[in-house]
Amino acid sequence: MVDLGLKMLLHDRVRFIITISGVAFSAALVLAQVGLFNGLLDNAALTVRKANADLWVTSRNTANMDFPQMYPESTVDRIRSVPGVARADNLIVCYLNMGLPTGVRENSLLYALKDFKAWNLPWEMKEGDLDDLRRGRNIVLDSKARRRFGDFKVGEFREVLDIRMKIIGESVGALSFTTTPISFMDYDLAQALQPNLLGGQTTYTLIRLAPGADPRAVQAEIQRRLPFNDVHTKESWARKSEHYWITNTGIGMNAFLTVFLGCLVALVVVAQTLYTSTMEHLKEFGTVKAIGGSNADIYRILTRQAIVAAIIGFALGTAMAFAVVPLAAKADLKLIMTPGFVAVVGVGTLGLCLGAALLSFHKVAKIDPGLVFRS
Amino acid sequence: MLVQRSDMYVMRGLNLTKTYREGWLETPVLKGVSLDLDYGEIVALEGPSGSGKTTLLQLLGCILTPTGGQVEIEGRPIATHRAKDLARVRRASLGFVFQQFNLFPSLTAAQNVEYALNLKGMKGKLAQKTAQDLLEKVGLEDRMDYLPRDLSGGQKQRVAVARALAGKPSILLADEPTANLDTQVGSQVLQMFRNLAKREHRGLLIVTHDPKVREIADRVLRIRDGLIQSA
Ligand SMILES: Nc1ncnc2c1ncn2[C@@H]1O[C@H](COP(=O)(O)OP(=O)(O)O)[C@@H](O)[C@H]1O
Ligand SMILES: [Mg+2]
Repeated sequence: MVDLGLKMLLHDRVRFIITISGVAFSAALVLAQVGLFNGLLDNAALTVRKANADLWVTSRNTANMDFPQMYPESTVDRIRSVPGVARADNLIVCYLNMGLPTGVRENSLLYALKDFKAWNLPWEMKEGDLDDLRRGRNIVLDSKARRRFGDFKVGEFREVLDIRMKIIGESVGALSFTTTPISFMDYDLAQALQPNLLGGQTTYTLIRLAPGADPRAVQAEIQRRLPFNDVHTKESWARKSEHYWITNTGIGMNAFLTVFLGCLVALVVVAQTLYTSTMEHLKEFGTVKAIGGSNADIYRILTRQAIVAAIIGFALGTAMAFAVVPLAAKADLKLIMTPGFVAVVGVGTLGLCLGAALLSFHKVAKIDPGLVFRS
Repeated sequence: MLVQRSDMYVMRGLNLTKTYREGWLETPVLKGVSLDLDYGEIVALEGPSGSGKTTLLQLLGCILTPTGGQVEIEGRPIATHRAKDLARVRRASLGFVFQQFNLFPSLTAAQNVEYALNLKGMKGKLAQKTAQDLLEKVGLEDRMDYLPRDLSGGQKQRVAVARALAGKPSILLADEPTANLDTQVGSQVLQMFRNLAKREHRGLLIVTHDPKVREIADRVLRIRDGLIQSA
């Protein structure tokens, strides 16, 4: 079987490259847009997903991880007495002022725990020992803080709330949605720094379940005992934190719009290039008809071209999107493209191209084969 | 044995009329044309430019539907207007040669012929072999893998003839096949065309204003003012 559709598509190299590029850029655009959005969103609950707590207690109606609310730290004792709870510890998250060597003050998002290692926070250390946090006025800064705070080295001092603190370690990968740099400090020290604000107060309680305990049942029991708190599973708290940013700020709509526009541009570009290519070969389609080809034969050619353009364009677009990942990382941007999502874009690309082919077909089906007699 | 009269003709046109309509503008082109073509017969249809030759060829070739009158192909009247059914008739019984050659520029000579065979239901190795045989018949055995752009006008028209012969149609229709060829090359193509049509007993109608075509025709018809005049 002579593959006229493919030969026709490949015959004009320049047009072929234009068509493929149209598909590729469209696919890359959508992949990168959604990937960036996912990457951004991933920060919203990064610490929740990394910490090895099964349940999270927050103050009632706390909206997300980065908006901590106070409640009495003694709550933790009532939690510890609930059957099925293996361990429960308070976690203070709060914003505090840090003086930089330049004289500028910047905000840092502080995480304060008594035993960081027990909760896998922070999950990766580049330098220093977390246990040293208990030994004096010490802090650990995340390496990402360099973007806002300028360069720092372990062993240097910084003014935190006007008190000199030693940087005794550097963590890696800790991020908040707002990009406020994260620092870590001992729980008691944090309270001592701001007795008026934090004395006897906490913002979260981390809970680890006993082996075999039913998370739903334990969650329900804690919730029953603590009517002025919210009790979440790790997953529901992570989702709630992420969801907040999608719904309560413009970014969800924003992302939806860019992706929608990306798809629209893609549709127009692909339809336009495939359609133009078809129009340029109108006489050939007329010839196919004159020598006995039916509309089904025409449709086979157009479908073939659409599928080839979709597959090559999508492969190229995906390669482009993944090539952007290391570049984006240099700008501290994360692109998260899951296989499932890539597959969806692949199917979408194919659908788009077939839709565009349908548009061309509509035109070709109506052409008069008599045009082959005209010059 | 007695046969019905229409069975003797491979193709007939009975009192064909055609009027082009574009909005309120009506152009009557054919005003009642009747003609027939025997198996193995070669007819030249001459006429000045604009006299309706191509229009008539399209009516007989089931590409256009007549305003009035009747076309019969292999003894069967064409009663349908459906594009699908007309395509089937073209596939089964007709082979076309055009003034502009109309080869597929992305296909080699052999593939051009093979694709026509594919459309007519012949697939795979058999179609490849048959395409080669047809190109040999038109004397292009050494140009099988050339793209149309690498062929001369005469060679292109030979490929077109081979493509028209694909699927053994009983009727061959040619519209000004020599108009884009040198006199000498045109004569060679016509001679070859004639031989192939005769040998395989096909009806061949050549529509032209090239007087050379007369030399190979069994019969010459003239069209003028939308009517056939016996030459
Ligand atoms: N599709 C069409 N629509 C309107 N008028 C047409 C069309 N095709 C041909 N004509 C007109 O019909 C007349 C005959 O055309 P044609 O059959 O091509 O003549 P020939 O092939 O003898 O030169 C011309 O006047 C031409 O302008
Ligand atoms: Mg003409």
